[in-house]
Amino acid sequence: MSMSDPMSDRSARIANSVMLFIAGMLVITPTFWMVLSSFKQSFEVTAYPPKLFFTPTLENYVTLSERTPFLHYAFNSMVVTVGSTLLGLILGTPAAFVASWTRITWPAIVTLVARMAPGTLFLLPWYLMFRQVDMIGTYGALILTHGVITMPIVIWVLLPFFDNIPRSIYEAAQVDGCAPARVFWKIALPLVSSGLVVSTILAFVFSWNYFLFSLVLSNSDTKTLIAASFNFIGEGSTNWGGLMAAATMIALPPLVLATIVQRWLISGLTLGAVKG
Amino acid sequence: MQNATSRRQLGALAAPSLIFTVGMIAFPILYTIWVSFHASSATGQLRFNGLGSYARMIGDDRFWAGIWVTFYLYFLSLSLQLFFGTWLALLLFNAKRLPGVVRSLFISPFMMPPVVAGMMWIVILDPSLGVANYLLTSVGLPPSTWLASPRWVVPTLALIDTWQWTPYVALIVLGGLQSLPPGVYEAAEIDGAPRWKKLTRITLPLLLPTLVTAMVLRSVDLLRFFDLIYITTQGGPADASLTLNIYGIRTGFEFFQLGYAGALMITLSAIVLGAVIALNRLRAAVAW
Repeated sequence: MSMSDPMSDRSARIANSVMLFIAGMLVITPTFWMVLSSFKQSFEVTAYPPKLFFTPTLENYVTLSERTPFLHYAFNSMVVTVGSTLLGLILGTPAAFVASWTRITWPAIVTLVARMAPGTLFLLPWYLMFRQVDMIGTYGALILTHGVITMPIVIWVLLPFFDNIPRSIYEAAQVDGCAPARVFWKIALPLVSSGLVVSTILAFVFSWNYFLFSLVLSNSDTKTLIAASFNFIGEGSTNWGGLMAAATMIALPPLVLATIVQRWLISGLTLGAVKG
Repeated sequence: MQNATSRRQLGALAAPSLIFTVGMIAFPILYTIWVSFHASSATGQLRFNGLGSYARMIGDDRFWAGIWVTFYLYFLSLSLQLFFGTWLALLLFNAKRLPGVVRSLFISPFMMPPVVAGMMWIVILDPSLGVANYLLTSVGLPPSTWLASPRWVVPTLALIDTWQWTPYVALIVLGGLQSLPPGVYEAAEIDGAPRWKKLTRITLPLLLPTLVTAMVLRSVDLLRFFDLIYITTQGGPADASLTLNIYGIRTGFEFFQLGYAGALMITLSAIVLGAVIALNRLRAAVAW
């Protein structure tokens, strides 16, 4: 039997919806303003008081692709992000499988250390290492360093997926004379396919968003979009529309991809500490 | 028996990631520790300096200012995010149904690159033409110089980070709320306990372990706060947002004082590690 009276229940529900709406507006308005500004003409984007209604234009996007190296930077970002995602998968997937099979713990510890350590801790020796072999400013150096972001993500996303495979399946396979490499390739991998999708997308998003390594280790030719943001800000002091168009385009790939995996997002981002 | 084959194959599967870990993670950390005990000369030669860099840190005003800024930003952001995150989680939990599009909306701030968040807020918070000051003045409040003010730069950075990460904390806390056993409220319902009492006496205490988890995850990011500061202020104005992390990287890559930069980075890492250990103790203490 519930003692609360229906009237106050109803008003509490309405109050909850109103507050949720306000919270939602606070969350979305800045992003909305960024996208809105990217469709404004140069005289309107700095208009004061700011304008909510205006005739939208694609001018900023056209300028971005035709008069700035935006597409070149976007290509660099793609090379580094796809390369490091593949590297993370190739290194991390078998490691997660072995960790789950043998219960060795170093892959999980590596994951934690890489998650906790400030990127600056690695940067100094990497800089010296890559300078020694003349790799500063190469895609190779950027892909390798971003692998330090992607490999731990792949391991921590996949570990629970491998752990969920009943051990009896492994044992039956072994009785049939199936060696671990074959079990991994033929049995375990197909069973964790959704985990592979989640880890691929999360690795991609984090590699795409990562700033520090390409800031220091890229050159003007291999600069990623994120590292090139400085150029856009420099030019943006006179051209906010262009700056907001660049910001919108840079944010688009991670936002679209994150939406696809949102069901697994929170447990993926919290090392499985929270079931989303 | 195929045990030897088995072991060899498992080793071969794990080997690439082990080699990568040693080369790209373990070696660099050890090198940074080693270099922190050395000093670099103008020609780039390293010579042994013992604890010199650490001694220098104790007498360095910018280091202590960096510690202050790091912790000021950390505590301010963390408390704002925990407070609003818990509040938002309760709103989401009470809403019962949560359409996918609303969820996408709430993940959008923290899945966008922090650098993009910085670009966006630079424009919104522009002291003369930004929409933030327009809104403030239109309700009769004085305008602010936001990121350009030594006094307000840290609160402003905390505000931007809170905008970006509150929904993340909220979704973590929501996960905690959803896993609470449904029976815990029954006795309170029968007693007719008021809503706020149920919240403070039952829900929040049971949520503590989840809240500590959220604190651990946010602490790790907040103590090494970098992207947003570097893109907006680079530590300025007048070093007012020069966190330990920003100071370390500028020492290394602008002034090329490798030994001192190494010592700063090791110190920061020790702080992060210490925070994680302390919070894990706390989590064990509040577990139920």
